[in-house]
Parts: sequence; structure tokens; C-alpha cells
Amino acid sequence: MATGSVEDSSSEVQSGSVPSSLPFKTNSIRHGIHEKERHLVQSFRSVPQKFANPFLVTDRADENQLCISSRTLELNDFKLLKTLGTGTFARVWLTRLKNQEDKNKVYALKVLRKADVIKLKQVEHVRNERKTLAAVNGHPFITNLIASFSDEHSLYMLVTFLLLLSYLLQGTDLSQLDFCPGGEIFTYLRRARRFNEDTSRFYAAEITMTIEFLHDIHGVAYRDLKPENILLDADGHIKLVDFGFAKQVGNRETYTLCGTPEYLAPEVIHNSGHGLAVDWWALGILIYEFLVGQPPFWDQNPMRIYEQIVEGRLRFPPNMPPAAQNIVSLLCKTNPSERLGYISGGSGRVKAHPFFANVVWDDLFYHRVKGPILPRVSHPADAGNFEEYPETDTRNQNIYTEDQKKKYEPLFSDF
Amino acid sequence: MAESSNSFPGTNPFINTKLEKSPSIQKISEDEEFEVTSPTDMTFRQANAGSGNANFGGSAFSEGSQGGGPGASFFGQSPFGTGAASGEGESEEGGLGALPTGSARQGFPNNYALGRRTSVSAESLNPTSAGDESWAPPHHPKTDEQLARLKTAVSGNFLFSHLDDDQFKTVLDALVEKPIPAKDIKVISQGDAGDYFYIVENGSFDIYIHPSGSVQPGPDGLGNKVSSTGPGGSFGELALMYNAPRAATVVSTEKSTLWGLDRITFRRILMDSAFQRRRMYEAFLEEVPLLSSLKPYERAKIADALDTIKFPVGATIIEEGDPGDAFYLLESGEAEALKGGASVKEYHRGDYFGELALLDDKPRAASIVTKTEVKVARLGRDGFKRLLGPVEEIMRRTEYQLDASKSPVSAS
Repeated sequence: MATGSVEDSSSEVQSGSVPSSLPFKTNSIRHGIHEKERHLVQSFRSVPQKFANPFLVTDRADENQLCISSRTLELNDFKLLKTLGTGTFARVWLTRLKNQEDKNKVYALKVLRKADVIKLKQVEHVRNERKTLAAVNGHPFITNLIASFSDEHSLYMLVTFLLLLSYLLQGTDLSQLDFCPGGEIFTYLRRARRFNEDTSRFYAAEITMTIEFLHDIHGVAYRDLKPENILLDADGHIKLVDFGFAKQVGNRETYTLCGTPEYLAPEVIHNSGHGLAVDWWALGILIYEFLVGQPPFWDQNPMRIYEQIVEGRLRFPPNMPPAAQNIVSLLCKTNPSERLGYISGGSGRVKAHPFFANVVWDDLFYHRVKGPILPRVSHPADAGNFEEYPETDTRNQNIYTEDQKKKYEPLFSDF
Repeated sequence: MAESSNSFPGTNPFINTKLEKSPSIQKISEDEEFEVTSPTDMTFRQANAGSGNANFGGSAFSEGSQGGGPGASFFGQSPFGTGAASGEGESEEGGLGALPTGSARQGFPNNYALGRRTSVSAESLNPTSAGDESWAPPHHPKTDEQLARLKTAVSGNFLFSHLDDDQFKTVLDALVEKPIPAKDIKVISQGDAGDYFYIVENGSFDIYIHPSGSVQPGPDGLGNKVSSTGPGGSFGELALMYNAPRAATVVSTEKSTLWGLDRITFRRILMDSAFQRRRMYEAFLEEVPLLSSLKPYERAKIADALDTIKFPVGATIIEEGDPGDAFYLLESGEAEALKGGASVKEYHRGDYFGELALLDDKPRAASIVTKTEVKVARLGRDGFKRLLGPVEEIMRRTEYQLDASKSPVSAS
């Protein structure tokens, strides 16, 4: 549209006032495409050093340079290969840089249409997502934000595509790569109907460490834990994706209802204020769903789900291991003041629970062991392990109006 | 708030009529207190293999976010397909001893939708803080008779049943009258976005569901009539949680009157009262010397864990000589400490007593008796320990001086 240049200049003004906590603004001079790629690769290389001391990620300047709201990247730099997932207002593409000769270098690009974000009143959540991803970047079990950028109609977040990270860690030559994305744990779970105890424990342990990191280091509540949001990398380790509802709450409470019906904590339903404890509740639901094949509270009618959740009566299949029943019961306490993970001892007490008795936490963290499910290996850019999504229906798309632009454009300037 | 009398936003997740509600949740006989160490009644169905795909893709009531999406199509079976034990002769009333292995009537629905689940989200809400423009909930006067009917209408609804008296009153006051001037008016349309919850004051309504998930053009566009509702009935309750497509169409069959409540008003009432309560408790806790070394986030945790209890005039909150097990904040009303029958101290809003019970169970040194109706916030020693660990460790952070003159209950 005609206002393009106007928008550009205004966003430059905005970007000039990026908070000083993001010390990478100096990098936003114009680069050619090769320059971009150089930075992208740098971001991967920076990771191993963080593995050495992941809970003290203080010096991440090199990588943060790429988390910057990039003025150098644009959609036209990418070839969109396949849709990896869709949400109510977002679509995630498997992408490759157009000028990139190495066909193995693929990324995931999350595209959010501004008009949809506004219509669904998700502006705050989208801002939180970008902010949180940038802040927590570098954890082995969390998807890595490489860059974010925007154009007139959309916001973009470029993240590491799954397996690439762990292969680089092992020093594997990219050109030799022969892998495919692992896809969601959700897909494997539904195929297997349920996981055995060891498999469930493995994923639960990695999720526990991820929650611990988000809570204790960043004060971030993730708020949308579910199998659909957990991906597998080549070695079968998890990657938590979709930080759309993640929010830095610290030790305060927040009130906006969000999450996935089966995984909502009682205090979210009651709107009495919720905080970090909701993730521990969801972990209990998750362990249950791993072992049983479906979540403990379910009905076709969502209101009946919520009624069961606030009532909080868990029923376990008789063959469910006692330690698993116990940890689920402790995590799914309807009163957050009694909930394991939130009560005295915090995440340490979750990790010390008998359910996790034989877990060697460091082995998981440093990827010294492989996961119980190793994704099928085939062509690198193969997205075959992801489900098929219909193409975008452009007919009924919301229009980003001039009025909205005036009101919301400053809010999107972080991208 | 929309105030026009007959322009309905047409946006409401239909959920609850009396007809629909009753059969969906069944209670099972088990102990009230859910304890991990004693297994609950594990009524649980493992059978039903193969029947799991009956309602695949979600029924009309699956409200959009619930339906098994297209991605689910390759799973045709119940997650309980393997290891199916046909539970013969098990008894639902078996109680704790019995561990029925497969009840056809209990446990999980056999039509669990295996599809991908979509996230849901309501509008961002931030509590009204001091200095901001203050928000006051709408107040629409009602007769006592109307209030009584409304109370009955929502009494079985879990969204209302946990409200305290003040919240409940505020919510009822906020309900706005919506006259429906004639028959054949569509109050909500299947597939539309939902913002309002409705209670029927008088008149009657038919409820239709179209298998496609939304109203279609043409004479049969409403779909099948599935039920009807009248005075005391309600529908659209999911709209009180977030905006989801309406699961049914509701059409008036005569001149009627509805009470409507929109989501933002409802959630805002709950949020503001919860927020104010937390801040009030935190402020009270700051005044307790025993807890002065608590960090702000610890105080917030404690504030969150307090139970509100009401006492009538002349009630004994603490009995002299009883072992101490809990600490109290006086939220409203007045009380006095009695030692051997003599009044030794008075308590007002914001005062606290019994705090040494957080340390041990030494006998109470005085009784606390209410002089008016009283609301207290209570925290047990166990609850405190569970949240923050032993009080002794927290006290060690500073030297807390026991001051008998200030705290007659605790001094012994």
C-alpha cells in the first residue's frame, strides 16, 4: 500500500528506542543475503557454549544479535516449503533462504497476520511471545528464536527447525545431513495410543527441566503445555514450541484466561488469578495423557470439562504405576497452594519424586542419551512427519485497516 | 454493556439448558477428600475398544475448539483399545475397597476426540489499579423475587457456585434485562461468536443444532430441534469463559424475557475482587511482626493460601487452652480476646491473632470471641509449612521478639 514508506520510517523510529537490555541494535545495518546467512549460522554455533552452563546464560550477545527485530530480513528472502502447523491466527512454514544453495538449511517461520492478531485480541500475547522467546533463547529444550521481522501486513518469527541444532552440536557436516523433522509428540502419542512408563518419564523429565528453567530463571509461565506443543529432535529429545501464551509473571498473578481446555488449571477457570503454578498442573495432565492416552478430564462439551477440572477428581486406570498416579495427584491439586512444584521446595521436589527415581537429569540435559522415540530419517527438508494442513483460504481474510494501523503499529515495533 | 433491548449480539456459545445438563456428569461414590495415599475409587473403563470412533470429529456440542480436527482421521480407535478388560460384575458402589476394572458407565467417555486441540484465549484483562480510571460493574436493579429466581437458575452452575456472597451479588446485579418482543427471534446463532450468557426469566425458546456446525441458508437452515428451555433455564455459559463459536441456535417461541451477562463484565468482577482481596491480605500480612522477614513473593503466596471464614456475633474463633493450629487475620468486624473471661484486647480490621500457632501447637493463651459479624482469613500451620517451609527458618532471618503484651493469644 501507499503508506509503506511511512510505515517504514515510523518503525525505524520505534526501533531506535528498543530497550537497552537488547544490546544488539547496532547490527541492524543493511546486509546482503550472505551476510544474513552468516549470522544465522553463527547463532547455531553459539549454542554449544551455552550448553556448558545453561542456567547461567548471561553472555549471549552473539546470538541475541539475531533475535533482534530484523530490518534486513523480509518474507521475500524465503522460499516457503510446507505448512508445519496452523493456529487460529498463525501459520508455521518450513522455509529456506532463497539464495541458500544448501538445501538442508531449513527453518521454521511463524507468520502472524496483524489484522487477525488484532481481531482475536492477541496483540499482548504476540508481544509476550516474541519477548519471551528472545529472553529464554538457548535452552536445549526450547525452540530457538533466530530473528523476528515484520512487513505491512504480517509479523514473522524465524526459529530453528528442530533437528538442525543437535546435528550441529555433534559436529555433523550439514551437507551430509540426512534427517527429517521429528514432528510433534502428539502424533507419536496418538499413533501409539499411550506411552509406556519409561517413555512418559523421559519426556516428563525434560518438560520438568524446561518448566524449572522458565520459572526459576525467567519467571515465565508457559501456559500452554500439551503434546501438540512438544516436538522431537533427531535424537528424540524434546523442543517446546509455541510461546504464544508465555508470560513473564514472576511471582505475581495474572488473569487472562488462556491455554487449551483439557489442560486449563482450576484457578484459570475461576479467574481468581493464576501464576507459575498452572504449568505444574498441566504437567500432571500431560503425564496422565502420556500414560493413559487421553487427559483425565474430558467431555465433548467444554463446560463439562471445566466442571470436572474445578471438581478435580482424578480417576486412574488400575494398571497405572503407583508412582505415576502419585505424582499426577500431587501436581493436579486444585488448590495451587498445595500443588507440587509450587509449594515449598519448588521444582526440586518434582524432580525428587519417586516417579523420576532413576532419571539422570544431566544426561538428558546434555543430550548424552537418546530419546525413546527416534524420528524416521529421510530427506532433510522432508516435513513428512507433520500433519497435512489445508492451504490458506485468502477469501475471508481480515483486512488490516488504517485505523488499526494507527493504533497498533507502535505495539508491533518490537518485531 | 449492550443495552438495546432487542438487538442481540447473536454471539454466544450455547451450552447449558437444564435438559442437557443433568446426564453428562455423574458422581461416583468415593471419599470427599482426595488423597493420593489412599487410592480413590478407580472406576475406569478400559473396554469399549472399537467404539471410540463413534463420534469422531466432535459432536455439535464440541464448540469448535474441541472437535477432532482433520488431522485426527488416521486414528480410528479408542485409546483404550488394547488391554481391554471387559469388566463383568463390577460395582460402581463398590467404594474404596473395590477396584473395578471396567465399568461401562463410568470413567472416560468412549468417544474421546483424538484430534489436535486448539488453544483458547479470552481478552486480556488487567486489574483496575489505583490511579487508573476505576471500573464499576454495571448495576441493574431487580426485585427480591427476581433475584431469588436468578439465584436458583445459576445455583447448579460451577462458574457461579464458587463465588463468595459479595461476588455473587455483584454478578447478579450486573445481569441486564433483554426483552424478546416476539416469537421467532434468534437470540444466538450456531457458529457465531459468543459474548453473552443468558438466563430465561419468562417465555420459552427452542434449541436447534445443524450438523454442519453453523446455521445454513434455507428453510431447514437451523438444523434439528434438540430441546427447548423456559423460565429458569440458561444457555450460552461458555461465552463467560472465552469467545467460542455458538454450538446451537436458540429461537424464541413466544414473547419472552432474558437476563444477559457478558464475559468481560463477568470475568472483570471476578478478577477485581480477587485482586483486591490479595492486595488487602498482603497489606495485612505486612503488619505481622512474625512474618516481617517474608519476601514480598512469599507474602503473596501466603495471601493466596488464606481461607476466608465468616463468624456470627458471639462466636468463638479460638478457645483458650486449645492447641494452636492456625493463624488469623481479621478482615472485617470486631472481636476481643478473653482471658479467664476478662476482655484483654480488642481486634479490628487488619488485626491478627494466633500467629504463634505457626510455630508450634502450644495451648492458646486466650479465647477470641466475635463482637460483631466477623470475616477472618485463616492459615493453618501445615499450610504455611507446605508453602514456605518451617516458620522457624523464616524467623531466623531476623530476630523476632515475642511481645506478650501485643499478642495475648500467643503468649503462654
